[in-house]
Amino acid sequence: MNTIIRKALLLLVAVTAAATAGAHHSAVAFDFAKSVNYTGVVKAFRAVEPHMKMTIELKDAKGTRVVNFEGHSVNNMKRAGYNKGMVNVGDTITVTAAPYRDGTEGGYVIGAQTASGYFGMKPRGARPTDVQAVGEEVRKAAEGR
Amino acid sequence: MGQSMRVGKYVAAAWLAVFAVAAAAAEHPDFTGVWTNASGPGIGGATNTAAGALPFTPLAQARVAAYQKLTGGTDDSPGYWCVGTGMPGSMLGSGGYPMEILQRPEQINIVYEAHSEIRRVYFGDRNTPQADRLASRGGYSSGRWEGDTLVVETDNLVDQVDQRTPHSEDATIVERYKLDGVDAQGRRILSAEMTMTDPKFYTKPVTLQKRWAQVPNGRVLPYECTAETWYERIEAMAKKAGVPIP
Repeated sequence: MNTIIRKALLLLVAVTAAATAGAHHSAVAFDFAKSVNYTGVVKAFRAVEPHMKMTIELKDAKGTRVVNFEGHSVNNMKRAGYNKGMVNVGDTITVTAAPYRDGTEGGYVIGAQTASGYFGMKPRGARPTDVQAVGEEVRKAAEGR
Repeated sequence: MGQSMRVGKYVAAAWLAVFAVAAAAAEHPDFTGVWTNASGPGIGGATNTAAGALPFTPLAQARVAAYQKLTGGTDDSPGYWCVGTGMPGSMLGSGGYPMEILQRPEQINIVYEAHSEIRRVYFGDRNTPQADRLASRGGYSSGRWEGDTLVVETDNLVDQVDQRTPHSEDATIVERYKLDGVDAQGRRILSAEMTMTDPKFYTKPVTLQKRWAQVPNGRVLPYECTAETWYERIEAMAKKAGVPIP
């Protein structure tokens, strides 16, 4: 095979691999024995396979910042009560997430209280024993409390 | 012969044809519908033999050990890369997601929700000649009926050391499906038995069972595993080009 063609093919394989890396990963990065309730304003949301993506703006004593979450695929969300239109940019939302094991803020969404209802999955791990709440004042403000 | 008699004969012939088709279809049970993992007292889901209990040949032991050493501790698996489960993993549960069976006399399609994986089982003249069949992770499946039991023979598999029940390209699989009563919820139960023969990987045939429960008026849901990757790719391209996402 022509060397140039071979190099081009190898480059193509490398680019393809890079583009698809991380498509459907395991959940080992998350601690499903714990859960954190994050309340904030939805800045981005994508219901997609294999992992839902959501970005929430949080405001609390630590300041204002955007935090990224991921979660189940849409078919799993649907079976857990999700319907299209339940999550919209600008909505105030509370997500219950299994936190990152390494302490990174954010996590794997296992449930969400939205303006139009709740959808949630059973935690994969043990029963949550370390529930925290982040940004609850955002919900209180949204509800006029 | 009067016109009314001729019309009457045509009508009678047409009805006979309809009855013949209906009778042929009624010869076999209809598995059409959505099926999920059966569970409950006395009804197990997939019966998967632990990998260590499989009667591997020395070659298979070495191949599997090498694969596990290479991928152990990583996320890497066919599913991670959005590759379909393949056979026999798909018929043994396909990640716990439902499957839909669409049955016609000459062909049965099985749609597994996970990865929207599809198997096509051909009957009789609908079959592709052996020389024209292509090898794949799902293989080529040919069906026949033995009474009320659907028998599916699968060949033209590619080597899949990444399966829970790994095999070589020489593997052949025989599945036997039959209705087996109802569960406590009144749902029809479909029992499936799989026997895989692969002298290259196993010292004797491997047999596993699986039971499915019909979901009343069920539907499988969309699953496009590579969608996220594509959207992220477009975002990265737009960012690199310094333009908004189209």
